[in-house]
Amino acid sequence: MRAYVEFAVKKFQDKMAYRLDFFMGIVNTAITIVVYLCIYKALYGEAAQVDGITYRMVATNFVITLGLSNAFDYDEMLIEHKIHDGSITGEFLKPVSFMLRLLAENIGEGVFKIIFNFIPALLFTMLYTKLCPPKSVLSLIVMFCSVVFGYLILWLISFIIQTWSFWLLSVWGIITIKNVFVNILAGTLLPLWFMPAALRKIISFTPFEAIYFTPVRIYLGELDGVEILSGIAVQIMWIAVLGVIANIFWKKGVKKLVVQGG
Amino acid sequence: MGEIRVILQSLKMSVHARMQYRAESLANALAVFIRESANIIAIYLALLKFDKINGWNVNEMLFLYSILFLTYAFVVSLFADLRQFSDTIREGRFDRLLVRPRSLLLQLILNNADLIASVGHGTLGILLFVISAGKVGIHWNFTTILYYISAIIGGILIQGGIFIIFSSLCFYFVETNSIRSIFYWNMRKFAGYPISIYHKAIQVILIYVVPFAFVNYFPAQYLLRKADMADYHEIYIYIAPLVGVVVYAIAYLFWRISVKRYYSTGN
Repeated sequence: MRAYVEFAVKKFQDKMAYRLDFFMGIVNTAITIVVYLCIYKALYGEAAQVDGITYRMVATNFVITLGLSNAFDYDEMLIEHKIHDGSITGEFLKPVSFMLRLLAENIGEGVFKIIFNFIPALLFTMLYTKLCPPKSVLSLIVMFCSVVFGYLILWLISFIIQTWSFWLLSVWGIITIKNVFVNILAGTLLPLWFMPAALRKIISFTPFEAIYFTPVRIYLGELDGVEILSGIAVQIMWIAVLGVIANIFWKKGVKKLVVQGG
Repeated sequence: MGEIRVILQSLKMSVHARMQYRAESLANALAVFIRESANIIAIYLALLKFDKINGWNVNEMLFLYSILFLTYAFVVSLFADLRQFSDTIREGRFDRLLVRPRSLLLQLILNNADLIASVGHGTLGILLFVISAGKVGIHWNFTTILYYISAIIGGILIQGGIFIIFSSLCFYFVETNSIRSIFYWNMRKFAGYPISIYHKAIQVILIYVVPFAFVNYFPAQYLLRKADMADYHEIYIYIAPLVGVVVYAIAYLFWRISVKRYYSTGN
């Protein structure tokens, strides 16, 4: 475990080295927030609420989802590159699990982005517009757990697709299409509240709803006691299912691996 | 004439390079098409619920967006090497161009044309145009068609000019990626909506700094005449096709000045 914490810390420090990049990152996030809040405001027009959802709830959902999706974003071509240049074999020699090491590094990067990108941009947004406070301190704490589970779901989906590089020449196209699904079905582009009922029904059977929307609804207090528990149970169920699938693909892929040349 | 031959030769080489992996190229063009459709799907779903955004209905929004895709389909191939110019410099590819007896910009145009992205963006642009153009009440006649074509060319020149300016900045700064991602990629995304909905500061950027408003918003206003045009001076509509020429000329001069500062990163 100590080793994996070290990997996470190392990645965090790596990111610290690029200061201009991270300053511009904050500006970028802040501009994006202002623009999308303008878009939602224009969509709402004079309406105080649409389907019981207020503009302020939409704004809160957008800011949380954007912050998390920035933090959950990392280099998804890593395994493919490591297979192409053969450096993946070096990973097998190390006495740590490659999958857990990658997870630790991605988490390190994510924590960096939350602290140095999302929180400054969030403070800026709060000067510009009012957001909903969390329902209670408890719901904030539960939301944090739910965010971690949401991260694991998204990470496992991405890892599964990355392992396909063992069989395919390039996974760029599939990753791109996967991201379209995430952006639409997880509610990054349009809050799931406003999806047509039929589509919403379909989404509830996929892991996508559990990535961002479950944490947001817990934060806003849209779910009550039992619903929170079932929401988190669904997240854990998806982590278990995807975790098993990810392991199968990884093990089969490693067996299949043929590295050209030395 | 020699200049045109160079450009055509570049294009031919790009096609050959992409066709080495035919199936993969087609799959990637499809992936680009699907990726870019995501924003369209989001707008479509949003307007199913909200009906209009500042007076613009779904077809008018698709028409506004189609201009972005159609122009970018040309930009991404014509100016491919200028899109990630810092990479071109870092990998030493720029040094190669310096020793050839042709103008630098001419060699960069159509070099490594990203035809995959062109096909993806172009198909989507044409599709959106076909879906929306008949339903937004435009009277297509000689004047409007001429305006539309000039606006498309202007839009290509504006974006090409912006690429050239950002590329020129590479001669002054080592790392320009983050600036480009704010001022090009984000602004392009924002231009997919009527700019009248934005905070004044964002509107100023879109009109005067990175003039995306002249790529699609003002040209669309000439053809659609939505009520929010009252926020702006009428003249913007008429100068839209000209802005491209001006931006490109400024970019070209800036490039000529900047390129003199170049020192190779190689050894």
